[in-house]
Amino acid sequence: MTERHTPAGDAEVVPGGLEFAPGEEPEHLGDVPPQALPMLPGEVRPHPTPFQYVMVGVVLVVLTALEVTVSYLTGDIPNGLILLMLLVFMVTKFALVAAWFMHLKTDRPIFRRMFAVGIVAAIVLYGVVLSTLHVWQHHA
Amino acid sequence: MQETALAPPHEAYDTHGTATGVTNAKLAMWLFLSSECLLFGAFISAYLLYKGRTHGVKASQVFDIPFTSTTSFILLMSSLTMVLALAAIQRGDHRRFRVWIVATALFGLTFIGGQVYEFTNFFREHHLSLHTNLLGSTFFVLTGLHGVHVTAGIIWLLSLFGLSTQGRLSTADSEKVEIAGLYWHFVDVVWIVIFTVVYLVPK
Repeated sequence: MTERHTPAGDAEVVPGGLEFAPGEEPEHLGDVPPQALPMLPGEVRPHPTPFQYVMVGVVLVVLTALEVTVSYLTGDIPNGLILLMLLVFMVTKFALVAAWFMHLKTDRPIFRRMFAVGIVAAIVLYGVVLSTLHVWQHHA
Repeated sequence: MQETALAPPHEAYDTHGTATGVTNAKLAMWLFLSSECLLFGAFISAYLLYKGRTHGVKASQVFDIPFTSTTSFILLMSSLTMVLALAAIQRGDHRRFRVWIVATALFGLTFIGGQVYEFTNFFREHHLSLHTNLLGSTFFVLTGLHGVHVTAGIIWLLSLFGLSTQGRLSTADSEKVEIAGLYWHFVDVVWIVIFTVVYLVPK
């Protein structure tokens, strides 16, 4: 149970939350264990902790920095290798945001499947269209 | 006093007895995001189709990678503040929720500001507009469409902030924040793809 503060400053109890006495809210991001948070509809396991979110954010920043660095290596290493590395970084960043921030890692599989249908449909559909129009040969 | 026992899943939320056991709103958002993959896929494909086939101004002549990298970093950080806002409202910490949600909206505004600057620079310095060539058409439509999505997201975030300041957004409404967050993160993952495909992939 938790408190909801009305505009008048009164507190009322709301089911499904936590109770923090005034002034006793956790000071640090990592102080709240995941099992302490109320679960949302569709969650199978508790969401990550704020500390884990920050760690994922750090990884994303590092990957972006690597991505930009690699893009400046044009001429020093083959373009094919640059393209491969950029795609790996892109897919990793995409997967990290989807799994951790969009909670596909902890939510019911139905959401994962629904999103995967959209992504796969887009890749297949436009892959076929671009192949038909010989885009890959043009860029090679 | 801190209570560590979990409320059973869904106790505080009305799932209206759906067959999936999840709320229709969240399911609808995922369905919408799934369809958005096809929408953005179409515009990314159009950009790839005409890339390198344009006459006149070339992408490599106009892009400012350090600048766009900075705005991309800002948008990535907005995703982090968004999940921190969700975690805050879930634990009933409304003050921190408001801080994080405003930070997210400000990051989004900064990104849009950067995009406006970039568009203006392309037009003034390189005379690249929607009508100049195929690069201009496909680039401005793709990134502009993404910018419109970010702008809609900012309005959504600020409306949540407004509801919270009026005391009309409780812990039991966490799912509303999560759904807004799903939209915001989707806008972020789309930019991850656009940033790589449009700006970084060698010509």
